[in-house]
Amino acid sequence: MVVVQRKELTLLERLYLPEVVRGLSITFRKFFEKPITRQYPEQPLPKDAVTRGQPRLVVKDDGNIACVACGMCEVACPAYAITIDGGETDRGIEREPKRFDIDMLRCILCGFCEEACPKDAIFMSDELELADFSRAALLYDIEKLKRPKSTLQKRIDYVYKLNNRWRRAP
Amino acid sequence: MQDVPELVIWIAKIVLIFGGMIATAAIMSLAERKVSAWMQYRYGPNRVGPFGLLQPLADGVKFIFKEELIPAGANKLLFRLAPALAAMPSMLTIAVIPIGTTAVIGGREIPLGIAQLDIGIMYMLAIGGLGVYGVILGGWASNSKYSMLGGLRAAAQMISYELTLILSILAIVALSGSLDLNEIVASQREIGDWNICTPMGVLAFVLFTIASFAETNRHPFDFAECEPELVGGFHTEYSAMRFALYFIGEYCAMTVMSSLNATLFFGGPSVPFMPDAHWALGVLAFLIKAGFFLFLFIWVRWTLPRLRFDQLMRLGWRVMLPLALFNLLATGAWIAFTGDH
Amino acid sequence: MSAALFYLASLIALCGAAGVILAKSAMGSVISLLASFFALAVIYLLAGFQFMAAAQILVYAGAILVLFLFVIMLLNLGALGTKFELSFAPFQSARAKLACAIAVGLGLIGLIAAQRASLPESVAQASAEPIDSVHNLALALFGRYSLPFQAVSVLLLVTMVAVMVLAKRKRVGKGNEQ
Repeated sequence: MVVVQRKELTLLERLYLPEVVRGLSITFRKFFEKPITRQYPEQPLPKDAVTRGQPRLVVKDDGNIACVACGMCEVACPAYAITIDGGETDRGIEREPKRFDIDMLRCILCGFCEEACPKDAIFMSDELELADFSRAALLYDIEKLKRPKSTLQKRIDYVYKLNNRWRRAP
Repeated sequence: MQDVPELVIWIAKIVLIFGGMIATAAIMSLAERKVSAWMQYRYGPNRVGPFGLLQPLADGVKFIFKEELIPAGANKLLFRLAPALAAMPSMLTIAVIPIGTTAVIGGREIPLGIAQLDIGIMYMLAIGGLGVYGVILGGWASNSKYSMLGGLRAAAQMISYELTLILSILAIVALSGSLDLNEIVASQREIGDWNICTPMGVLAFVLFTIASFAETNRHPFDFAECEPELVGGFHTEYSAMRFALYFIGEYCAMTVMSSLNATLFFGGPSVPFMPDAHWALGVLAFLIKAGFFLFLFIWVRWTLPRLRFDQLMRLGWRVMLPLALFNLLATGAWIAFTGDH
Repeated sequence: MSAALFYLASLIALCGAAGVILAKSAMGSVISLLASFFALAVIYLLAGFQFMAAAQILVYAGAILVLFLFVIMLLNLGALGTKFELSFAPFQSARAKLACAIAVGLGLIGLIAAQRASLPESVAQASAEPIDSVHNLALALFGRYSLPFQAVSVLLLVTMVAVMVLAKRKRVGKGNEQ
């Protein structure tokens, strides 16, 4: 059992008013200190490799999308945000997505798709802002999700470092 | 200037003083948010206009265009009437406060105050005491448990603290020997004559300030609202302009209480060390004094936590009231033995 | 102007007084009483008694009626209803009719007495003295009428004690009365 012992108050403390004045002096001093608020749209949030923003698809240096439409991320997604229709391709990998939609209204930015992907094709970017005027506009298709590999490189390196127990070095 | 009719001067005074109070209420709504922000390492509203100065305007537009809701089962007449009842008394009481001594414009003497009443302070207490009706009736008419509890608390609290308020003012009335606020001001022309400079004045000042916080339902005595327990207290069911009226009423009451504090204890428009200062300087002195107490209202709100209701009642009846009675008695004894006011 | 104001205030005072006994809900009664008090204050003002008017509002409207409201709000809201309606039901019983008759009779006697100025000598003199200013009122209360004034306060004290005694609940069961 926890016994809470009330502190014995001195006479000055029980008079209350001196303590009120002390409190007022504390708040008055804070008055002149610099605000720590970030003025958001003008001063954006600091971003780093650990920032887990919206998922984006990797476009390799040769211009082709890295995804092979295996459907692993679709299965892993806890919010059922991903929809993939695969199709054949003339490239050596034989399959690529004809349709790759992420419903950004459902996406919870958990990063399971990133972990599930066997082809390093989907990564969590540092893009955080998500606002629009219609639901349709927030249903992102393949064109909206594509990003060159160079823009995602920091995150890719970080994920490799983080998971080097089971991933090969690049 | 001599041939301007009396009525025109009257109307000009009313427009200036009343308009000034409404403007003060608007500025206070911004100041409340700004000061609280500065005390918490924040910026406060700064998007509407330069430094957010147009924020009250934006708030006003928002309040006007919002939907007015009346809860089912509410007493419609009282529900509509209550916000006006809450805002009106504090607006009426500014009439007797002398914001300056006597202005001399173009060789004409104009007393700076809307009304010169023999019973100024009585009028003030009588009308000011009606503010509680807006809160109680609003709470009752809403047909909601939270509103009702807020109204009940407001009733109990305001009755308890009004006694202390009146008794602490009575001590000052006894010292100055008049109920007329103009004469109370006239009796404190120099800084040595200020009522705060007497031992009873200090105690009365402390009691009056605390009671005025309770009377205006401000922190740490805002039990009528008390968000964590009562959602919004008496104004839970109010929306749009009716809700805004409660706020305007609260800020007007704060303005009046601050003005009264400056008038009763700090000589109102008396300028320290310059008893024969120009009247405009006097008005400035009054505004600075009243402004400080307005700031104190905000300052205290963002410093102290809310009391518990039993603590409030104990403080009111077992500490403040006996002290106020003792103060009145001591003032009487002082006057009886020293023989002067 | 002032005559019109007087009749208007009197009308409001009378309507308010009627509303107090006719209103179905207790809240309606209180609001009517409030209107009546304000009309009375206006009449005091017209008669030149500023202090009385302020005291009327301060004491009756500002304090006593708030206490009434406080009690009414603690009653059962559902049983009271929130609508304002008039009801003449309380006047159907014989006793109520008798009480009404007595009240009206007493009021008439008072009116006739005031009309004929057949008041006791001292009271008639008091009304001759101007007691409009606070100073004169204080002189009258604490000088000439000091004894009656103190007696009234004793009366109030006695009433308070009596109410306490009457309202005190007797403890049943334990055997020891408190």
